[in-house]
Amino acid sequence: MIEARGISKRYGDLLAVDNVSFSAESGDVIGFLGPNGAGKTTTMRILTGFIPASDGTAQIAGHDIFEDPLAARRAVGYLPEVPPLYPEMDVVGYLRYVATLKDVPRSKRKAAVERAVERCGLEEVHRRVIGSLSRGYRQRVGLAQAIVHNPSVLILDEPTVGLDPIQVREIRALIADLTSAEQAEGARTVVLSTHILAEVEAICRRVILINAGRKVVDSPLAELTQGGKRLEDIFARATTADDAAGPREEEG
Amino acid sequence: MRHVGAIAGRELKSLFVSPVAYVVLTLFAVLAGFFFLASVLSFDSNVAQAQQFQAFDFLRELNLNDHLIAPFFQVMWIVILFLVPGITMGLFAAEKANGTQELLLTSPITIWELVIGKYLAAAVFVILLIAVLGLFAGIVFLYGEPEVAKTLSGLLGLLLVSLTYAAVGAFASSVTRNQLIAFFLALVLLLILWLLSVVADLGAAGGAVTTNSTVSQILRYLSSADRFEQMVQGLVDTRDLAYFGFMIGIFLLLAKASVESVRWR
Repeated sequence: MIEARGISKRYGDLLAVDNVSFSAESGDVIGFLGPNGAGKTTTMRILTGFIPASDGTAQIAGHDIFEDPLAARRAVGYLPEVPPLYPEMDVVGYLRYVATLKDVPRSKRKAAVERAVERCGLEEVHRRVIGSLSRGYRQRVGLAQAIVHNPSVLILDEPTVGLDPIQVREIRALIADLTSAEQAEGARTVVLSTHILAEVEAICRRVILINAGRKVVDSPLAELTQGGKRLEDIFARATTADDAAGPREEEG
Repeated sequence: MRHVGAIAGRELKSLFVSPVAYVVLTLFAVLAGFFFLASVLSFDSNVAQAQQFQAFDFLRELNLNDHLIAPFFQVMWIVILFLVPGITMGLFAAEKANGTQELLLTSPITIWELVIGKYLAAAVFVILLIAVLGLFAGIVFLYGEPEVAKTLSGLLGLLLVSLTYAAVGAFASSVTRNQLIAFFLALVLLLILWLLSVVADLGAAGGAVTTNSTVSQILRYLSSADRFEQMVQGLVDTRDLAYFGFMIGIFLLLAKASVESVRWR
């Protein structure tokens, strides 16, 4: 679970994230929506412990990201926008290395890697060097890396960006599969950022929309689209309302 | 500190699947062979000339340590100064370029574990280079009788200098995402470090500072050149050992601060 309280991030005079609070229970699959530069990546980076918040704090699986950063990071699986891969390593060697970094006990490492390979459909390429894989497969390795230590919180930053339509469909199906399987286990919180609305409708149960660093919508997807309302209209209305005041932030 | 081994191991494997390790090792072996041969030939011609001119005093002075091994080590020191940046340039810069820095900094590891793991990998490589030089020195032992202690003292000097250079290189790699910039930055820092004592000498010669002035003493303290020279002469002083430890510590501390700085921005 995630408990974010008043997270803000300032870059000099620019307020990239402005007092964002939300809480997510185990089993939640949250679509983190917003136009480019809204502060999605920054918020995710704060939750994963990559950068500290200027203000506010968050608890990941009960661990405060400031007071107990190592325990909080241990509970998070994170796929950044650019998957963090070593092109010269083979898939299994890479996943084993990540499992070591994430404190998977030595005796469980092999099983953890096998599970991640199987879950992400990497059996056919598990001995291949990552640099020789297609972008779609690299993205799968990125996902496998995020789940190898069986984290209770999974954070995915634009997981389908830059893929061709078929790869997008595959990765989306894979994430849907991962999240629905997690639903059955009922033990994981998934946060997924995107600006592709169809992705949210396909995968997520709940939508958090942020614009210009502020949270503007936070509601279950079913409620939002009740009575045939389209997500696109909601998105357009929420993001144009106070666009003039919006700061701009470089994503990535 | 339990992640240090994993980080160092991955780094070493990466070095050895990339061409960098082989280019550096080949270049090092070829240059070592060339300069070793040059040192042997020069020693040989020294002996021949001394005999021809019947310079018996000089012949008595002539020995394998001071006139063959020491000049060889001194040249190799310069070679190391140019090659160590090649080994260290990718340590942190490649992680930034790959995007894997985000993996490392969101993993439950401390920045010290990361910095020490990386440095350890570079240190292992450096030890390999010095071992190659040990082989060349060993050849001299097959055909002559140089002093063992003096030779080992020289090798230790080279090792400590190289380890210090690796720490400087690690720092240079931590401030940029571009490996080429990391290489040249390391080279510039090492040349400055090397030339400090020359600067002190020049200042003294030009009358700008006297040899015993504070500035000159500080410059001399920071320069690695004099200390290395002493060790090649067979003088192992605890103050010199402390100096190398101090320099390695300082540059690793700087590297740690530099890696951590992504969190301050």
